Amino acid sequence: MSQTQKNLYEGMYIISSTLNDDARNKALEKVLEGITSRGGEIVKNHDFGRRRLAYDIAGHREGHYYVVNFEVTPEAITEMRGEYRLMEDLVRYMITTPSEVMEKIEFKSLESE
Amino acid sequence: MRPRWRARGATLPRLKKKKLCPFTAAGVKEIDYKDVETLKKFITDRGKILPRRITGVSAWHQKQLSKAIKQARSVALLPFVDRA
Repeated sequence: MSQTQKNLYEGMYIISSTLNDDARNKALEKVLEGITSRGGEIVKNHDFGRRRLAYDIAGHREGHYYVVNFEVTPEAITEMRGEYRLMEDLVRYMITTPSEVMEKIEFKSLESE
Repeated sequence: MRPRWRARGATLPRLKKKKLCPFTAAGVKEIDYKDVETLKKFITDRGKILPRRITGVSAWHQKQLSKAIKQARSVALLPFVDRA
């Protein structure tokens, strides 16, 4: 087992909204770098905007959300998780396995018919 | 024939209203945790997941729905508890 296959992932990252634009972009870049430096590929990067958190997380009431689709090996995910623990500006993150990449984050309302 | 008496507190049998799963009706294949506006319709004002006996969601979609709500909770898009 030399090379494991890359899988598609979707990461949701909440970056502290107390940072200014520069510092926030830097924090995001650090997240993206963590993917590319491990041989990953960024497929799509959505800015999900600044949102009010449904509950307080470590004193934060608001956060800036990013949704990133990327392809990476499962081993890299474990390493990335370790790295995220050390990033103070990353308020919360979640990595899921989507079945497809959304071009735009938009949803239809249920009452279509 | 209708019985002349009923036990106290017993209710008359209700006419069954046909409930349709809103997701099946709209042709949804996958429920996404990012779709907060839709998810909000299936939680109480305290933030609890509504049972499908009330919402009429099909078992197949309820499974996805509850997963999506739980994912949304973990990234603070939805509350775990909302003290209304």
